[in-house]
Amino acid sequence: MPEKSHLVEREVWVENRLGIHARPATQILNLARQFEAEIVLEKDGCVANARELLSVLALDCPQGTRLVVRAKGADARDAAHAMVQLFARKFGET
Amino acid sequence: MSDTTRILTGIPASPGIVVGRARVVSDFGDLQAAFRLLYTDQERQAEVRRFQEAVEQAQADLTRLRDRVAAEFPEHTHLLELHLLILKDQMLHDEPLRLIREENLNAEWALHRAYERVRELFSRIEDPYIRGRIQDVESVYRRLMGILIGQSPRRLLPTGDKVILVARDLSPAETTQMAGSGVVGFITERGGRTSHTAILAQSFEIPAVVGVDNAIREIAPGEELILDGLSGRVILHPDQEVLERYRRRQAEFAAFREEVTTNAAEPATTPDGFATRVMANIELPEEVHLVGRYGADGVGLYRTEFLFLRLKHLPSEEELFDDYRKVVAALAPRLVTIRTLDIGGDKFLHRTDYVPEMNPALGLRAIRFCLKERDIFRRQLRAILRASAYGRVRVMFPLISSVQEVREAKSLIEEVKAELRREGLPFDEEMPVGAMIEVPAAVTLCQMLAPEVNFFSIGTNDLIQYALAIDRGNKQVAAMYQPLHPAVLRMVLQVVTAAGVSGVPVAMCGEMAGDPLHLPILLGLGVSELSMNPLAIPVIKRVIRSITLAEAQAMASRVLEMVSVEEINDYANHFLKERFPEIYRFGSALAGL
Repeated sequence: MPEKSHLVEREVWVENRLGIHARPATQILNLARQFEAEIVLEKDGCVANARELLSVLALDCPQGTRLVVRAKGADARDAAHAMVQLFARKFGET
Repeated sequence: MSDTTRILTGIPASPGIVVGRARVVSDFGDLQAAFRLLYTDQERQAEVRRFQEAVEQAQADLTRLRDRVAAEFPEHTHLLELHLLILKDQMLHDEPLRLIREENLNAEWALHRAYERVRELFSRIEDPYIRGRIQDVESVYRRLMGILIGQSPRRLLPTGDKVILVARDLSPAETTQMAGSGVVGFITERGGRTSHTAILAQSFEIPAVVGVDNAIREIAPGEELILDGLSGRVILHPDQEVLERYRRRQAEFAAFREEVTTNAAEPATTPDGFATRVMANIELPEEVHLVGRYGADGVGLYRTEFLFLRLKHLPSEEELFDDYRKVVAALAPRLVTIRTLDIGGDKFLHRTDYVPEMNPALGLRAIRFCLKERDIFRRQLRAILRASAYGRVRVMFPLISSVQEVREAKSLIEEVKAELRREGLPFDEEMPVGAMIEVPAAVTLCQMLAPEVNFFSIGTNDLIQYALAIDRGNKQVAAMYQPLHPAVLRMVLQVVTAAGVSGVPVAMCGEMAGDPLHLPILLGLGVSELSMNPLAIPVIKRVIRSITLAEAQAMASRVLEMVSVEEINDYANHFLKERFPEIYRFGSALAGL
């Protein structure tokens, strides 16, 4: 059962101009809900559950913020990878 | 004092000390809801269900809205999607449920608490764009709260034993509802000592403290507390020792009140023979009993707004007549001074379709309103005249600022009299007519106003507000509202002097008239009729019976030489403390401040 305690960490940067406002936060949440893994975003020691909209917003991530995506669970690797992709696509914004 | 005891301070608004349990009523913008605690599992389960049903309804509403928007403006659906997500967010959904189950809060209060926490969290976000999303949270919060409140009575004034009501603000109408309920006192965040609500509390003898910052947040529902309407203190979690101390003070105060009330009904004449009339301000027919209890020589101000505010419809002439006749007949042969409608400003008729005014105090109110809405005014004048057949009535017009207004009002009275004669309805042909002096313009014009009327009545609350440009309901400047301000005293002198020339008597009916601190100076300036909140009458009569007119005149001339209000206040305080120590201790509070 090595999968169970599977923990993946990835560094991401907020690159879109407006930062993690409502729409990106919604995308993060919708993505997180597709995986079984528990996903948290960490910024300077503050942690937000990626499945909770207000908690993600309250993390206060303007453009240029560095975050650590931490996924834990069976599909942690895929989840973290998808999250990295989402950040890299700048949430479809500029 | 134990370390859990906490003291909040506000403005003493109605004297007396009570011990009771807090009932917190809060409002959410234009929404208002009661806070209560849940005591049984059953109550908690019902409240959880109520909250979940409200969420379901909000979800259904939002979904419907989204689908409608999606059909026409698909690019705008994201906002509604966002609201749907917020609705089920842990912080705004799971947290209230937890608060209901674990902290025994009712749904409204749980939701409010949860929302406040989110707001707190968001206020620390630095990025302004992200921080601005609190607006979406608020929108969802208000939607949910609206649904919750819609399912419960809009604004519950609780009943029960020894309830102390805690609210942001209470309307005069809500204050009147308290009489005869289980409410023994109240605390509000807003309001000043001469606000309408405070005046009403005094006439109902409900101790009150107003202007207590954050009272709603600081005081927990169900909490035992002491309300000291004499000092303006609210003591939370009092221990036995503190409770004892306050019970003693409560008893002392009751004894003082009892003592000054004996022989109150006797006339008040100074030892050197200056006869005064000490009258009562009343608002409702039910207050007539206070006139007798506190020994008033009549009614110097009968406010007539309540019927207009209380009824859902515009009161009919018969309804008005009924109220006025009751008061007039019950008090005959004592004089009843009826003030015509002083509506507008802060107590505007909601059903009339006037746009909200930027400066209601300077707007269409009182006599201005009446001369514009002549049907309403006529109806009231008919009712007043008809009541005059049942005792002794005089009428006065509020907010007079020109001779023309007095003439117009008087000619309306003449028209109404002619109608009544034609209809064969009895009334007093000689009913005296007076002008209220409460606008600086009227002070300046009083020499020209005097020949037009039978009496003046100085309305100090408004006169001070207009003369000093102070909104007494605004805590920022409330302290600058100073009755003994040299400008105010000079205005009073000017009115008394001008009226003296024409032989027109001058009454005073603002709160200033009922304060023993101000009394000697007012007497000395020549005011011979004072009307006040009934509670104050026994104290005022006692002071009048103890000082000579000569002494009062000497005080008045000294005070007129003083240039600062601080100096005048010190002087007046010193006098009261030396000459009437027991009144100094309790009197100001008893006098309705």
